[in-house]
Parts: sequence; C-alpha cells; structure tokens
Amino acid sequence: MLAQILVSGVTAGAVYALVALGFVVLHRGTRVVHFGLGDQLTLSAYIVVIGQVFLGLPFAAAILLSLLLSAGFGVLIERGVMRPLRGSPLLVMIIATLAIGAAVREGLRASMGPLPWPVPFLLSPAPFTLGGLVLVPANLAVVGVALAVMLALFAMLRWTRFGRAIVAVYENPTGAAIVGISVPGVHARLWGLSSVLAAVAGILMAPLITLSPDMGTIGIKGFAAAILGGFNSLPGAIAGGFLLGIVETGAGVYVSTAMKDIVSYALLIGCVLLLPRGLFGTAEARKV
Amino acid sequence: MITRRDLAAGVAAATVVAGGARSAAAQDRTGVTDSAVRIGVLGSLTGVQAVFGQGNLSGAQIVFDEVNAAGGINGRRIEIVSVDDESNPARSIAGFRRLVDDERVFAVLGPSASAIGAAMEPTLRAAAQVPVFVSIFSSPVATEPFKRNVFRTGPLNDRLQGIALGDFVLDELRGTRVALAQQTDEYGRRGGQSLTERLRERGRPLVSTEVFNLTDTDFTAQLLRMRQAEPDVIVIYGFPAPAATITRQARQLGLTGKIIGSNATSNRTYPQTVGPAAVGVMNVITLADLPERADDPRMAEYVRKFTARFPDLARQNRPDLGDCLGYNGALVFAEGLRRAGRELTREGFIRALETIENFETGVGLPTTFGPERREGNLQARVLEFQPDLSRKLIAPRVVARL
Repeated sequence: MLAQILVSGVTAGAVYALVALGFVVLHRGTRVVHFGLGDQLTLSAYIVVIGQVFLGLPFAAAILLSLLLSAGFGVLIERGVMRPLRGSPLLVMIIATLAIGAAVREGLRASMGPLPWPVPFLLSPAPFTLGGLVLVPANLAVVGVALAVMLALFAMLRWTRFGRAIVAVYENPTGAAIVGISVPGVHARLWGLSSVLAAVAGILMAPLITLSPDMGTIGIKGFAAAILGGFNSLPGAIAGGFLLGIVETGAGVYVSTAMKDIVSYALLIGCVLLLPRGLFGTAEARKV
Repeated sequence: MITRRDLAAGVAAATVVAGGARSAAAQDRTGVTDSAVRIGVLGSLTGVQAVFGQGNLSGAQIVFDEVNAAGGINGRRIEIVSVDDESNPARSIAGFRRLVDDERVFAVLGPSASAIGAAMEPTLRAAAQVPVFVSIFSSPVATEPFKRNVFRTGPLNDRLQGIALGDFVLDELRGTRVALAQQTDEYGRRGGQSLTERLRERGRPLVSTEVFNLTDTDFTAQLLRMRQAEPDVIVIYGFPAPAATITRQARQLGLTGKIIGSNATSNRTYPQTVGPAAVGVMNVITLADLPERADDPRMAEYVRKFTARFPDLARQNRPDLGDCLGYNGALVFAEGLRRAGRELTREGFIRALETIENFETGVGLPTTFGPERREGNLQARVLEFQPDLSRKLIAPRVVARL
C-alpha cells in the first residue's frame, strides 16, 4: 500500500514540480508571482484539443502548436501587460496576473463550454502490475517527461547563451545590463519559459485528471510546492513538488481524504513558520 | 390589563389584516402589464457552476422567443431579465433581490446550481409572494421544507435520487456489497446521505464510504481503501470531472465492481472523458430521451432549434443535460402561465401550476404539481455506456416516492 501511495504521489508530484518551476523561474528574474499560471496550464491543454478536434492536426503537431502558442502567450503577457506596468508597485503586477488568469479561465468557459473535454492519452491508461504494484504507462510517461523537461531546463540554463543570460539576470540584473544583456528581453524569455513549463504540465495532466476550465486550480498546488522549496531555488521547487505530491496522497490514506488538502496546507504553513526560506531557499539581502 | 374584549378585538383586527394581505397577494400583479409579463432568469453564467446556468437561460430564450413569435401567452409577451450570479451565493442573493425589488419581475426562473440554491433557501422562503421556478438544481432544500412559492421540475431531488439509486442498486443490479464515493459539497452530501440511509433501511448497509473534494485529481487513497472492502457495486455521487477520474483510477487499481454515477455525470461527453474504462458504467439521467440520438420527435425538434439558435454551443456537444432541463422547465413554466389565464396574478399563477398533472415535454420527465406538492418530477432513468462509448437508455424508469 505504501509503495502504491508513493507511485501516485510521485505522479502528482512531478506535475506540481513542473508548475512550481514555472513559478520560480519567473519569480527569480522578475519578482512577479504569476497567479494566472494555473489557467495558462489549462489553456495549453485546450489548445491541444482544438488542434486535434477542430484543426484536424496529428497529436504531435497539436502539442507542438500548443507549446509554441503558450510561449508566445507568455511573451505577449510580458510585452502587453508587464512591461507597461514596469515601475508600478509589485502588488499591481500580481493583481494583473490574477486578472489574466480569470480572463483565460472564463474565456475558455465561454468558448469551449463549461463541461469537461475528452483528451487523448499519451500512452495507454490500461495498467500493468509489477511486484504487486499497479503501474499505468500513462502515469509513468508523465513522470518521465516531467523529469526530462527539468533536465533540459537545467542544461539550457547552464550551457546555452539563452540560459546564461537568464542566470546572469537572476544573479545581478544591474551587472547583466552593464555587460550588454537586455534585461527586458530576458524578462520576456522568462515569461515564455514559465508558460512553456506550465504548458507541459497541462498537457501531461489533462488526460489523467479531467480537462475543464477549472483544471487550473492545480496551479495552487504548484505554488505551494514552490514555497516549500524556498521560492528562489529551482531544485527546491522540484523537491517541493514531489514532497507535496507524496504528503498529499499519504494524508489521504492515513489521515482523511476530506482533510488531505488541509494537511498539505498545514505543512505549508508549518514550513513558512519554522523554515521561512523553505527547504532549499537561501536568504537574500536587498536594499530597501 | 388586557380584557377579554380587547383580546377579541385584537383577534378580529388580526383576521382583517391577514385577510387583507391574502387578498393583496391574490391581486399581486407585479411585473404584469396589459401587453407583457416580465420574468427574471437567475443562474450561474460564469464561474464553476456555469454548466447549469447557461442551460437555464438558453431554455428560457428558446421557449419564450417562440411563445412571443406566436403572439405571446394570453395576449402577453414574455420579457426576460437575466442576471448572472457568477457561481457565487452572495451574488445570487443580491441578484434575486435586484430582480424582485428593482426589476419588479413577476416570477424568477432559477437559481441553477445546488451550492447556490442551498445558500439561497432563506431568501427564497422570505420572498413568499414571488413565484420561483427551479428547473435544474437538485438539492432538496428547494422544496424541503415546503415553500408555497417554490416549484421544481426536471431533476430528481438528491434525497429522492439517493433512495431511487439505492433501490436500483439492490433490485436491478443485485448488489450485495455496495460502496459509495461522494463529493464533500452540498450535492454529494445530500445524495450520499440519502443513499446510505436507504441501504441501511433495506438491511444492506454500505461496505465502504469515501469522500472527495470537487477539485481533487488523485483518488488513490480512497480507492485503495475501497478495494479492501471488495465492493460489487460502486456508486459515485459527484460532478463529471472528479467522477471521470475516479472511474478511470478505480479500474486501474483493480476495482471490478459495477460503477454507477449520479445525475450530474450524465453529460454527453462523459464516457469519452473517462475513456475505455467507461464501458459498462451506468449513470442516472433525468431526461426522457437522449439529445444525441433522439427517438422522440419532440427531443429531435428541440435539438434542431437549439443548434440553429446557438451554433457555437452546439459545437461544444450541446444541448446537454443542463440545457435540456432548462428547456423542459421553461416549457412547464409557460404552461403554468397559459393555465393562469388572462387575469394573471402571482396567486393565480401558483394555483395554475398546481393543476399541472403528468405534463410531458418529450425532453424532461413528466411533471405533476399539486396544492401540497412542489416536486414536479419523481422519475429518473438509467444509462449504460456501450463498447463504442455511446450512451444507451436502459431498464425501467426508476420511480422515487415522495
């Protein structure tokens, strides 16, 4: 039973980790917490459905289209909303992200309807057993793809010009600007990148849970995972995601299913009280 | 000191006042003019409950536009004032007050969702002079306890549905070890509680009860515990999104019992949402026919009208349950107006509704009201998902008892 809980927890955790990464990647560079990220995740899954059902694209092409449009949408948010808001209080920007989320969610409800949409599976949802454990290829694919995307992200940050510019802005925006890196340009990339991470999470999760305009509530879990991990640490976001997934599933079994969200959020509050920097966060000194 | 004479005078005065109030109610023609009657349509058009509010409005639009095109009812056109409660109980209460106090409507169609309707119960009760017509949501609070001004038809209320489901599971499915997964909100709690009591009454208590939140996405914990009870029938009382995932995960985790869902999961794309695991799964539906393969010409005609009027919605696999129920309710409402005659008053409308007996629209199940009866529909049907994931109506109609 414990092993089965771990399997489920890891599947959920992988997706939380991706969303958490989306939050952290963006926040480290721009200081903005994007509360519309969950709804962007839903949007990307809907784009796959639109691509397949309405445009008749093959599955792979629909996914590619969704990732491209998601990245474009992220950049568009930066150019169209965040850049004009530059200089306004952070709270204004955060409220703008809430508005973006609500607009996406209600836009989807109006255009695609409030009812769930069927989404094709990446791999078979039929389970097989291995040593008494029930494993589902579709769930394993979620974990596999999520891990691959995380590795690709770290590789990109380390070994590409694109990634190094991001890291430079993370470390010292002024310094980065002095050496010729366009900080607003990096911000646009971060918005695109964070949107793509959310898109991957959405496309992976939609067939497993159920695609409806409210699927984005899962974004809150990603946010919680990011806080657990420290909110400024990329590995922390991943650890936070897996930890949250496992604790949540375990709480459902050993405490109460009605209480499982409460247990998760209690963990979060406990973490904020006792370890305000999260599990992997580092203290940041800032001039005020 | 109060003398007996004072008391008698007081009683007489009170009688006169009460009599006056009653005759005032009998004369209450709010929202009625010589050429029109103004109706409020209240429902969740946006937010998490939008699935049902849109049906409430589209049904009213189709029926009332048709009525108006034919010259109105008893010489009066029907004017709609629509209010969106944004799936928020507080806004729904404010919206109801706006319709009644500011817009001065004759009657209100709605609200559309159980979570909203339950919160609005005191408001509906307090507005005792305003006829309220519920055609979609199924929480018992609309009609239990009895409120003279609140009528419902279309869905089977959750208390009665729990009883009907319990009987169906025992009598038709021959269940001996029944398990229940219920949503934690008003909808799941009411239905689940009623099913639990019914099975206990009949000597076959549930072997496992699990709860889940509407936004949950992983049900491993519940299903692993349920699996230990080895159920042969699993009842899921909840909304489509969690119910679809539960069905899929139940099969993945090796639960083989017959799965039957409540009315809320009777949306058209539900079997496709579940995927191959849906084959053989059943659910309760409170429609007379299926919109996607209509046998009844009246249902076919409704689908044609809906598709012509709302082509964008038709592309979203509509009309669906909520739309059909909204249309059915508006037809019954219009029948009440017709029976109330040219001298339309709120009291006359309530009395006219009370004369409706076994009224069939071909879309919803038959409606009967009476002086003591506000629950119009007491029937439900059961669907089974076929190997090609189409839906098929089966078995006799489930008839609940009041």
